[in-house]
Amino acid sequence: MATDRTAKVTWAGSLLEGGGTIEQVSSGTLGGLPVTWASRAETPEGRTSPEELIAAAWAACFSMALSHGLAQAGAPPASLQTTVTVTFQPGVGIVKGAIAVVGSVPGLDAAGFAESAEVAKSGCPVSKALAGVPEVTLEATLS
Amino acid sequence: MPRIVREAVLTWEGTLARGAGSMTAGTSGAFTALPFSLPTRIGNAEGRTSPEELLAAAHGACFVMSLANELSTRDAPADDLRVRVAITMDEVEGKGHQIVGSSLAVTANGDRAEGAVLAEAIAAADEGCPFSTLLRAAGASIEITTTEGAS
Repeated sequence: MATDRTAKVTWAGSLLEGGGTIEQVSSGTLGGLPVTWASRAETPEGRTSPEELIAAAWAACFSMALSHGLAQAGAPPASLQTTVTVTFQPGVGIVKGAIAVVGSVPGLDAAGFAESAEVAKSGCPVSKALAGVPEVTLEATLS
Repeated sequence: MPRIVREAVLTWEGTLARGAGSMTAGTSGAFTALPFSLPTRIGNAEGRTSPEELLAAAHGACFVMSLANELSTRDAPADDLRVRVAITMDEVEGKGHQIVGSSLAVTANGDRAEGAVLAEAIAAADEGCPFSTLLRAAGASIEITTTEGAS
């Protein structure tokens, strides 16, 4: 069954001097988030950006895939903390994604955790959608 | 141009089916502690965001900035651009769940660019949006429809 999720975004003015708003998403969770080129490419000043949203989407997708893989391996996680850093180079694109996960997983050793993390890194739907990113790193540690 | 770094920090507790997570915009702080879970990702959202919804917002923001730039270079800066993006995830045989498409509906209300110029700017914006490029490379389809509103 296909799942759709939507977002509405508006913009007025030029890229450098204008500004936009992420008005609404289908869940209602986000709304009224301003976006500008300056806050995307320079200092965020409290404003999100496409790359930050991609980082959040990626970290959520990765965490869910990893929890699934760990449970299948007989070691469901007590908790996972994932940080994803997305690097954007204007004119080039998204050049790097760095996934760092710290897990509390009863009964699993570091090698087993690293193995499950590697599977989640390549298999989660967002990772697959971002397969064209030239450099993706993974750091998996147990707390 | 310098490299631009943006970060998000997430926590997850429990199994996939019954566990739940929380996400925070690590660089900007624009959103904090948004809950997410599997049932609300694939079924009814029930007020919870999901990876695909964030991708929809990311694609919308990426595309609208690219379009604003293309309109400026055609001497017709955006007046009131609206973009609605729907990201579709589906189970693909033999490949599991995949992002299969992104559908963008662009409304240009009273903008100076219209007709062929608007169409050309939209095509160039799609080409210039790095997220469109990635989605396409991953085999997702990108559909763009345009409505020209009254001025």
